[in-house]
Amino acid sequence: MAEETWQHYKEKKHSRPAPLKGIRVLEVCTLILGPAGPGFAAEMGAEVIKCEIPPMGDTCRDLTPFGYFFREQGISFVHMNTNKYWLGLDLHKPEAQEVFKELAAAADIIEDNLRPAVMENWNVGYRQIKEINPGIIYISKNGFGQWGQYAEENRPSNDGASQGFSGYSRLSSFPNQPPLKSRLYICDNYGALMGELAILAALHYRQRTGKGQFIELSQTEAIMRAMTWVWPYQQITGKVAMPAGNRDVSVCPADTFRCTDDNFVAIAAPAPEEFRGLCTAMGRPELADDPRFKDHLTRLKEDNATEILKIIAAWARARTPEEIEKLAKKHGFAASHIWNTREIVEDKHFRARGFMTEVDDPILGKYFDHEFPVMMSKTPPKIKWGCRAVGFDNEYILKHTLGKSEDDIEKLYDCGALGKWADVPTRRPPSTWDGKAGLREV
Amino acid sequence: MEQRWPDWIRERDDPRIAHTKPEALDDITVLDLSYKNFAGCYCSSMLSEFGAKVIRIEPPQGDFIRSCTPYGMLYKGEGLNYLSEGRNKHHITLNLEKPEGRAILKSLVKQADVLIETFSPSVMDGWGIGYEQLKEINPGLIFASITAHGQFGPLKQNPMPDYDNITQAKSAIQSATGEVLPKGKSYDECPWAVPTKAGPWIGWAQPGTFMAVGILAALYWRGISGEGQALDVATTESYARFDDYAALWYQETGIVNERFGNLDTACWLYCFAPTRDGAVFLGGLRLEMWQAFADMVGKWDEWGAASWTTLQTFMREEEQLKWAPLIFAETRKYTSEELVRMSVEYAQKGRLAPITAVVAPVCSPDEPMKDANWLDRGIFTPVKDPVYGEVIVAQAQHKMSQTPIRTRWVCQPVGHDNEQIYSEYLKFNPAKLAQLKKTGVI
Repeated sequence: MAEETWQHYKEKKHSRPAPLKGIRVLEVCTLILGPAGPGFAAEMGAEVIKCEIPPMGDTCRDLTPFGYFFREQGISFVHMNTNKYWLGLDLHKPEAQEVFKELAAAADIIEDNLRPAVMENWNVGYRQIKEINPGIIYISKNGFGQWGQYAEENRPSNDGASQGFSGYSRLSSFPNQPPLKSRLYICDNYGALMGELAILAALHYRQRTGKGQFIELSQTEAIMRAMTWVWPYQQITGKVAMPAGNRDVSVCPADTFRCTDDNFVAIAAPAPEEFRGLCTAMGRPELADDPRFKDHLTRLKEDNATEILKIIAAWARARTPEEIEKLAKKHGFAASHIWNTREIVEDKHFRARGFMTEVDDPILGKYFDHEFPVMMSKTPPKIKWGCRAVGFDNEYILKHTLGKSEDDIEKLYDCGALGKWADVPTRRPPSTWDGKAGLREV
Repeated sequence: MEQRWPDWIRERDDPRIAHTKPEALDDITVLDLSYKNFAGCYCSSMLSEFGAKVIRIEPPQGDFIRSCTPYGMLYKGEGLNYLSEGRNKHHITLNLEKPEGRAILKSLVKQADVLIETFSPSVMDGWGIGYEQLKEINPGLIFASITAHGQFGPLKQNPMPDYDNITQAKSAIQSATGEVLPKGKSYDECPWAVPTKAGPWIGWAQPGTFMAVGILAALYWRGISGEGQALDVATTESYARFDDYAALWYQETGIVNERFGNLDTACWLYCFAPTRDGAVFLGGLRLEMWQAFADMVGKWDEWGAASWTTLQTFMREEEQLKWAPLIFAETRKYTSEELVRMSVEYAQKGRLAPITAVVAPVCSPDEPMKDANWLDRGIFTPVKDPVYGEVIVAQAQHKMSQTPIRTRWVCQPVGHDNEQIYSEYLKFNPAKLAQLKKTGVI
């Protein structure tokens, strides 16, 4: 039974192996589309070595809400750079490129999110690395891929550009209002996730055949893939898919309704028993047999949908979200008030499952964050530590992983191939750092 | 390198030659029992695109999700979301409410690698086909459950059905997305300035993708250890995982992330800006890019751009609210196309060239389908489907040199493959199938 499978899941998480144990990833990424992917891999147990150009490193270190810093770090950066090892490597320098190649020779995966051919100009592109490691799985993620008009024009991209380009934002707004940008960096994060999907499929293929490969991922193509009905709808009808605010035009009823005191509730009740339950809850059981609403396809028709949503809106307007949630539970349809972050952080269910997980970081201290959202009964993914300063693990990686001597390392520092953080907040460790915590024994 | 990188890689990963290459997951069999839940259906699409043999098991009347289609529209009898996500799958019917149906499922499970299900927790257990029961007959099985609240935790027994708009409401993402209610106005006057959900079914597609990633990680682990396991995704957690810094920000400051319209709480320059004929995205996450934008619209001196030293001050709420109207007054003077061109030209001859701000059009969803760049990259190449004819669905988002994804067919009617699959896996003859059909088992 499920109780047995998941008993003490949260408590035993840290004593169980993670699924990608033994996989080594080299990351040459900045901002979100790039680093979020290896972040997922690291939470699944891969050994991720994040290469940053010293002394400033990843631009994402600067991004943080309204300029707020946590232990002198940007909190977007803390969130998506978990469980990584930190190497300050200036890939412009030939000596650094050699270090990278030595690491690549024993790596499984390389991820970059630079413009096309930048890695190749640094002598560490796919064509160069596959000569020393034919099994390498090498992914480049960016706005427009490696070839085609926009890639040739070397256009920059980022999440907001991708939300715009794909039509995603237009569809996420209200009719006759300007297009609305999602609060999430959805095209970055979703592109990153789709990147890991392809990497893991390639890893499965390599497990069978020993063969590696190159993967290109455009974040705009990835989000367009998720926009399902929009494309066949436009092809078949010749019409433009239109925004519909909070109403789901494929599920009826499904919308967000205003309640008393300017509160809101989301309701969904499309299946026959759910719709009947909602009608009963509204004290209007006869609506379930009304010819306009009798089955889902009929109810979805524009006029009928408008009508039933109007009826529900009038009913919801005089109630609180909590009343409606209770009725939903009783009558078997779906309803939820509009949750905010405080509720997510403090929710008992999320805590009990370990989704809101407490990270105990030797440098950053204790904090709660979102755990990797796939719970795996035998190999739980988990956050073990947060972000580090630029080049924080240089000595560990060069000595432990590559077996370099003190002399070799000194030479690499001298020529600027290797470097550490700039002495500014967001790049250096927190000022409370004792010079030892978080460093790995060599 | 003799050949230019874009040409070299295109020769190897252009979707036009995908059919000549092997498939990453063609040794994997997936049983998709998901019902009334697009996350499950999308999850199995993510695997079937890589060549996994996915057998969708629907009740004899078909999956309710087939009826979830925009405005109730059917194409050759099929809903448009399902038309996109039936891709590459084999469709059989089986009545799991009957003991005989469950016995047949068990025979299939013995020959499968992955099972995906979306019933309320305890339904599969109650039927005697939960993970603990099925692992007895197939210890290598990866048993993947996607539900609203997950398989364990205080809300486990809450049978609330899982819908996209509910996930968006409950993940705290909707509360932080949307236009801000203008001061002194009410929701009656501005019914669009409310918490706003995003995109077509992103609250289903994203958890489905996360689960597919989890499944592939579990497959990798099985390749090492020989062991299968159970996986658990709660759609709300999955979507909330993309909420970046929000949890950390709240814990440390007590600030609950709120709607900020088309600006961005954590980034500057980063917004949608109105133009004479629509909107553009503006991005300049480095100081020089923000300066380049000011210069591009002729405000270098007036705004004092030369004296700016850091972006961090601009990220503050009051600064963002001060600067946004100044910027929008400038962008309103131009069409979207003019602004895009100005940014490209600035990169060539502007004061800070080649640095320039990212300016991207905010497209209507019909535009990508006409855009030569995406057409060239094979995203909207029509699929020649034996049942539905030429259908455009988004595809080829993963370009891979060894094992590219492909869409062989888009969809199949209910029970399309009953004869083939039951004969291939269980050696049922036509007489046996006729009898099972008569008794309502298939």
